[in-house]
Amino acid sequence: MDPLVLTQAINVVYGVSTLAAVTLGLAVIFGLLGVLNIAHGEFVMIGAYAAFVAQWAGWPFLAAVPVTLLVCGLLGYVVERILIRPLYRRPFDTLVATWGLSLLLREAAKAIFGRGYHSLTIPVPGTLHFLGTEYPTYRLILIAISLTVVTGLVVWYSRSRTGTWIRAMIGNPELAQAQGISVRKLASATFVTGTCLAGLAGIMVAPLVPIEPYMGLDYVLRAFFVLVVGGLGSVLGLFSGAAVIGGVNSVISAVANATYGYFTMLVLAILVMWLRPRGIVAQR
Amino acid sequence: MLNGSLVVFLTVLLPFVVGRFWAYQLGLYGLYAAAAVGLGLCWGQAGFLPLGQALFFGFAAYLSGFAFIHFLDHPVIAVVMLPLAALAAGLLAYVIGILIFRRRGESGAYFSMITLALALLGFQVATSWNSVTGGFDGLKNIPGIPGLDDISSVYDLSAGVLLLMLALCRWLRHAPVGVLWRALAQNERRLLLFGFDTNRLKAVAFGVSGLMAGVAGAIYAPEQGIVTPELVGFGLSADLVIWTAIGGRGSLLGPVIGTLVVGSLSSQLRDSFVYWEVLMAIFFIVVVLAFPQGIVGLTAPLEPYFAARRRLREPITVSPRAAPERPALLAIDAATVTIGDVTLLDRLSLCFNRAGIYCVIGPNGAGKTSMFNLITGELDATAGKVMLDQVEVSGLEPHCITRRGLARKLQIPSIFPDLAITDNLAIALWSGRASGLALLDPRLRRWKSPMLDELCRRYPFLADAGRRAAALSHGERQILELAMALLTEPRVLLLDEPCAGLSPDETATLIDALRWAVGQLRGAIVIIIEHDMAVVKELAQRIYVLHNGGLLAEGDVAAIQASDKVRAVYVGAEK
Repeated sequence: MDPLVLTQAINVVYGVSTLAAVTLGLAVIFGLLGVLNIAHGEFVMIGAYAAFVAQWAGWPFLAAVPVTLLVCGLLGYVVERILIRPLYRRPFDTLVATWGLSLLLREAAKAIFGRGYHSLTIPVPGTLHFLGTEYPTYRLILIAISLTVVTGLVVWYSRSRTGTWIRAMIGNPELAQAQGISVRKLASATFVTGTCLAGLAGIMVAPLVPIEPYMGLDYVLRAFFVLVVGGLGSVLGLFSGAAVIGGVNSVISAVANATYGYFTMLVLAILVMWLRPRGIVAQR
Repeated sequence: MLNGSLVVFLTVLLPFVVGRFWAYQLGLYGLYAAAAVGLGLCWGQAGFLPLGQALFFGFAAYLSGFAFIHFLDHPVIAVVMLPLAALAAGLLAYVIGILIFRRRGESGAYFSMITLALALLGFQVATSWNSVTGGFDGLKNIPGIPGLDDISSVYDLSAGVLLLMLALCRWLRHAPVGVLWRALAQNERRLLLFGFDTNRLKAVAFGVSGLMAGVAGAIYAPEQGIVTPELVGFGLSADLVIWTAIGGRGSLLGPVIGTLVVGSLSSQLRDSFVYWEVLMAIFFIVVVLAFPQGIVGLTAPLEPYFAARRRLREPITVSPRAAPERPALLAIDAATVTIGDVTLLDRLSLCFNRAGIYCVIGPNGAGKTSMFNLITGELDATAGKVMLDQVEVSGLEPHCITRRGLARKLQIPSIFPDLAITDNLAIALWSGRASGLALLDPRLRRWKSPMLDELCRRYPFLADAGRRAAALSHGERQILELAMALLTEPRVLLLDEPCAGLSPDETATLIDALRWAVGQLRGAIVIIIEHDMAVVKELAQRIYVLHNGGLLAEGDVAAIQASDKVRAVYVGAEK
């Protein structure tokens, strides 16, 4: 195969799999708890700033992982406790509350780190000879991690006992509670899992993007549109949503410019909302 | 609500109190406040939250900026273009609203996220389309409006625009359309079943808010002389939401006070105090969750002193709807409804071809309520059809079906809890009688009808003007919802367990009232789902027994009581 075409193909795979990884945390919280966490993008931002802090302090890149887990986990726990728990089944109020949270986190980042951009050096430099073409090693690693995490989580969810409990909680919270499942703890754990996944995705993309307080906005919108297009509740939906949104965006941006890419993404999401309100892969 | 003339007086007085510098500052924020009033209309009245409201402000600002730069030598033409720029912004909002709300019942996350994305898109267009928008630097040196272009008129101009928008908003809140907005925020399904196109109502609210932002934006360009991409972007959109929330989204003046206080404080403190914005974010969260009335809520104890006196006006009696030439005709023809693996209705055929009262009985899960949902269009038939007056109605939107003379009382009493009882009843009177521009006429609030008079005589609590429907007991809510259904004077009336939860006495009164009302609705078909056999015996001319989604038996009371099949289903006897 033409190496240039192959590089482009890997680019697409890279774009889709990282988009899927960024979306995963939102999918967990929105799909399982019915809470649209608008602050999702700010948790991604926290992961990215953690990577920045690790590099600034001279720690190894992976030191950002425990820092992120600690910050996102603790914050997720507190937020679920204070903001989300009183508002389950009031989706509109959670929407406003998490929007307020996103504002708070963004302004906090601005106050602590300043308005400006930061960039990181790529932790695994160089390229790898791959299927007859040269491709940046770090991106290949990202593809592998994204695929592993998404698939692993889905397999775990469908096989493990906790996964069954969560499904019971979604189906009928009262009955699940009566069966001895602690719905509160489970919901709290699910929310924390979602925020931590967002943070981890933030670390992954940190070396490749400019890190700034407003970066979260773009991520939450993109992730949300992936879920609109792909539908909730299946790994196939997640990847097909990511493929459509990521694919359309990169193709149109390459052919025309980023504004058109963005516009097409919006139009597409509205179209899907009309024609297939449960996503393109859902059975009617 | 604050007295209108008092507000005008304070507005005129303010610049003399605060001095020239602050008057100028407030002038700038007065335009933002006008946009915030529109946001309050969407959020506090109609119950959906646009997160990208700056788009319309900035859009109109760019349009009017072009006009003033382009017609530099003919400023009169430019002034004529001002309202056009504002209208364009309103139209844009309306079209976006129609496009998004078309998905049935959507007013939550999807709407907010898409409006947010639109504002970001607007910002991208404004910064990247250099040749037209001037890119990052924006449009500069926009000439002012002739005669109003010195610095001291900034306050006057903004205050004028703001007062105009407040007057418009106040009128809309008083008009029937305002009542309908508040109603749909509380109980959209109920409003849909009264035959109102709720998606259009929401789009209109969004359109009006776009228009208000547009008016403010159109004035902004010549007043400030510069239009930059920030005016369309995320920052101003977010600020508008914060100001509206902190001021008090549900009141008319809340968004204005929020904008003037928080906005102008921010402009002073933002740079000197690093954590100011963090503080505002925390403040926002607290207000939204714990104190939805906002700053204006603090003045609630003072309200009796300043409130405008509501003049009592003569009610206007609307005549009963003209009796139809022919009695209604409703037929369900071999209808099947399946959802996933579950069959709710299975080749159900029923024909109601004479006026009168019919009862539908059947064990739980027989498909009684599903049958009603099928008739009102909330469930789609997988096969078969529903005919009303020999026209197929299956497949139409619920509000289109109910507009053809159908009314329904739901199983669990469904009313508008935060509206006054009189407003609940007024909505029912408007159903089928008023639409379009008539909904802008505040006189409709005073409607009554002969049937309403009689219902109020039988149930005096219905005439209790000041009381909110939320204060009613379960039994009273049942009566209120029934009264609302009757007031529409329907041709087909669907009642789902109207006597559930009523005492024997209340049931007897209700049967009496129902019989009287049905006598008034000449030619109407009344279908009642009821478990209480005493009620069924009392009212039913004919009984239909449903079982497993199909028709098991039909006949008069005696025939049904004698039926072995029916007994087998209820008692579980051997087949």
